[in-house]
Amino acid sequence: MDMPAIEVRGLSKRYGEGDAAVDALKGVDMRIAPGEVVGLIGPSGSGKSTLLKCLGAVIEPTAGYMALGGRTAFDGGWKIRDLRSLRRDNIGFVFQAPYLIPFLDVTDNVALLPMLAGKSNREARRQAVELLEALDVGHRAKAAPSELSGGEQQRVAIARALVNRPPVVLADEPTAPLDSERALNVVRILNRMAEQYRTAIIVVTHDEKIIPTFRRLYRIRDGRTYEEAGEGRGV
Amino acid sequence: MISLAGRDILHHWAKYVFTGVGLGLLIGVTLSMAGIYRGMVDDAQVLMRGSGADIWVVQQETLGPYAEPSNLRDDVYRAIVGMPGVAEASNVTYLTMQIRQGERDVRVMAVGFEPGHPGEPPFLVAGRRIVRSHYEVVADVRTGFRLGERVRIRRHEYEVVGLTRRMVSSSGDPMVFLSLKDAQEAQFLKDNDAIVNERARTAANPALNRPGVPGLLDAILATQAASRSVNAVLVRVADGHDPERVADDIRRWKHLEAYTRAQMEEILVAKLIETSARQIATFLVILAIVSAAIVSFIIYTMTLGKVRELAVLKLIGTRNRTIAAMILQQSLGLGLIGFVMGKTVATLWAPYFPKYVLLLPGDAVRGLLATMVVCAVASLLAIRVALKVDPATAIGG
Amino acid sequence: MRRPMVRMVVLSILGLGLLAGFILLMVRSGPFAPVRVTMATVERGAFENAVFGVGTVEAERSYAIGPTVPGRVLAVHADVGSEVRAGQLLAEMDPVELDARLSASRAASARAVHALDAAQAQVRDAEVRQALAGRNARRYASLGEQAFFSDAAVEAKRQEADSAGAQLQAARAQLDAARMDVARLEAERVAVERQRANVRLVAPVAGVVTARDAEPGTTLVAGQTVLRMVDPASVRVRTRIDQGRAGGVRAGQAAAIVLRSRPGVSLPGRVSRVELNGDAVTEERIVQVVFDETLQDFAFGELAEVTIATTRGAEVLAVPGVAVHDRGGRRGVWTVADGAAAFVPVRTGETALDGRVAVLDGLQAGDRVVVHSERELEAGDRVSPTESLVPVQR
Repeated sequence: MDMPAIEVRGLSKRYGEGDAAVDALKGVDMRIAPGEVVGLIGPSGSGKSTLLKCLGAVIEPTAGYMALGGRTAFDGGWKIRDLRSLRRDNIGFVFQAPYLIPFLDVTDNVALLPMLAGKSNREARRQAVELLEALDVGHRAKAAPSELSGGEQQRVAIARALVNRPPVVLADEPTAPLDSERALNVVRILNRMAEQYRTAIIVVTHDEKIIPTFRRLYRIRDGRTYEEAGEGRGV
Repeated sequence: MISLAGRDILHHWAKYVFTGVGLGLLIGVTLSMAGIYRGMVDDAQVLMRGSGADIWVVQQETLGPYAEPSNLRDDVYRAIVGMPGVAEASNVTYLTMQIRQGERDVRVMAVGFEPGHPGEPPFLVAGRRIVRSHYEVVADVRTGFRLGERVRIRRHEYEVVGLTRRMVSSSGDPMVFLSLKDAQEAQFLKDNDAIVNERARTAANPALNRPGVPGLLDAILATQAASRSVNAVLVRVADGHDPERVADDIRRWKHLEAYTRAQMEEILVAKLIETSARQIATFLVILAIVSAAIVSFIIYTMTLGKVRELAVLKLIGTRNRTIAAMILQQSLGLGLIGFVMGKTVATLWAPYFPKYVLLLPGDAVRGLLATMVVCAVASLLAIRVALKVDPATAIGG
Repeated sequence: MRRPMVRMVVLSILGLGLLAGFILLMVRSGPFAPVRVTMATVERGAFENAVFGVGTVEAERSYAIGPTVPGRVLAVHADVGSEVRAGQLLAEMDPVELDARLSASRAASARAVHALDAAQAQVRDAEVRQALAGRNARRYASLGEQAFFSDAAVEAKRQEADSAGAQLQAARAQLDAARMDVARLEAERVAVERQRANVRLVAPVAGVVTARDAEPGTTLVAGQTVLRMVDPASVRVRTRIDQGRAGGVRAGQAAAIVLRSRPGVSLPGRVSRVELNGDAVTEERIVQVVFDETLQDFAFGELAEVTIATTRGAEVLAVPGVAVHDRGGRRGVWTVADGAAAFVPVRTGETALDGRVAVLDGLQAGDRVVVHSERELEAGDRVSPTESLVPVQR
């Protein structure tokens, strides 16, 4: 296995102080290779959401180590001061709902990220259109998000997550509102994209329809992760 | 980088336009208010410019002829015209009165002037100047009189031979110009009944109607009817003379009050319309506060409606600066729409105000700057809310 | 075509249109807008000048009729408006004691005549006596020479004759005195009669009574009037004309008179006299204007508007007077060059009653000048000529 896209060791998170302190994460270890799609499953209150926020550099872990794309991002403290650029350059997000920006058209929704990273508008749009075409929504590039179907919107959201070529994409319940065929389709796309762009994708889910598709799973329980081999049936 | 604010405005254009129209009407009111103040100042200045005088000579110890009544004998000008530095001096009378026109009364300021001398309306928009020495008037278009119309002023009927524009008194009443002699008659002669009664009263006085002195009564009656007063003498100063010095001479040697242009402006602008100006200034401040409150509220509401998008934007790495700029730009954009709208409506409805509304480009620029400042201030609350949005809220749970 | 594209285009066009409209509005109205003006062409043509004045209808000759001595009015026979003949009795003063004095005078006069007769009779008697005494004296004298009578007797007769002569002389003197008495009393009688006649106030000329100032019973002093009358043939309008315009007025010029009672009716007349005395207080000249035809229905003191035609020229260059402006002591007109106002100095002549001003210098026939303007022009102001500046009346 070459350099992991994401490596997490002993990551822990404590909310509150003293007697009221709650340990949401108690030493999480993860190691995911580029191009790999893993599932992150666990019941509600297991710390799944906290882990996601820590991985997404939205909240600060209490202790542990985290490296993204081979660079140390956290080691007892953030190693990259600017969390926004850290997120922008290293992590893609796919949410339960697409959460597209309603006042930007499809292309610009995607192109916004490279623009924020300092790319020229033309270059950013070129990248966005390329990715949208790869995701079969290139024909809707000029449409407003509200004019797209749910599946199309989700594909645009995936394009947005991928456009800056981050080492890691965090997908938070990406299939929750979808029927099984569409859910599987999303997973298929994620797999294809992970393969194509050599991105590690962590899919947080408790969707029974798609759990069997993962080759590898992390099950989280009481703030600890347990690695499991999935059925890896593929799609 | 694309303009997030611009895209948002374009996306929600209807919302922005309607809000902008509302704001614009408010700004239009504000601009009109300023225009009313400017109009009042301009009315006063037009009154001075229109008279074409450099010095106003009035009764001693008065602020006449516009701010206070003033009476002079009408031969005073002969003494003044002979003074050094005086190029021209002419009598004028001013009388605010009502003229009946059909069903309605028109409130006017009747100006008596000597044709060809200061006090004459400097330009006309229709008709001709007064040529006959009697029974012709030039009226401001605001009186509603038409060319050729005959109007009755006191004892005589006058023909409207010319129309002028923007000739108003300091209180905004349109002016009617007539020859000095007619105006003197109108001002100082009484109506028929009063004359007859006065005659009877005089005739009943045994001291004045003495049997042994034929002609005495007639002589007394004649003096009673004579009107030999004017309200002011307008002086044009000869080239190369200092109006201040000439006015000093008049004050000193003729025992009359003399005001130069600057002093008259002080009287008219500073004294006469001071209270109105303060009133309008208060109103402007209130309007500015109301505008700020409205913009603030609207932008705040719009921002609250975008919390999720803001969280996503933050999550994907948008800087606070960018987000603050977006909200600021939206606010300024709203202000700009409002301003264009306001300026347009103010320009369109200005002619329908009963009093003159003067919209100065300088005021428009100031209004634009004020709008921008107000909008910027109004966006602060929304920016504060936006910056407090937690990017984590975009991630479920 | 995709819908967002369409919307974008539509919005852009709408936005640009609004912006263009806004800019247009800003440029077309308000301080940046060009000043709207009306223009006229300078033309040569007939130039009839006239002056205008206001006058009152008066009679040239009016008469105040009253007594020459104080007295009381007895009767007034004429009323206001009465037409009277020359010599007609108009009023009488109370003669009071004049009639009695007249009878006394007449009686005295008659008595004097009788006294004269008596004196004449006495003269005749004295003559007869004197002739008799003379004859007696002569006869005694001749008889005395013949010594028929004594000298004393002769002397006595001669004395008798002398006495008779003296008596005759006295009688003659008395006659003269009686004659003079008659003359004196006759003169007195005439005087009283004259005085009696003077209480009758008669019309000096044919005319119309215009005022009745005293009623019977009123006591008047000498000089007060009982009646006033005028000669209607001498009616004219005493017209006051502003000094500044009275220059061209001459006797004989035609005039149009409009009486206040008959507005719109212009009566022909002509200037009969331009008076030398002006009114220094009102700064007016007095011009007498007579009617060409005798006026029938009028009132004295009625106001009249008089327009006197003064000069006329055939090919005079003229501009509307309102186009002429004084700027800093220079007189001129505004012309338009390349859309901007330019001031052209001119020398002007008379102003006609229609408002036109004769141009002596500075303009050519065919030049276009600004007549009316929306505001006072400044050199270089952008102007846009239009037909009319007066908004459509509401």
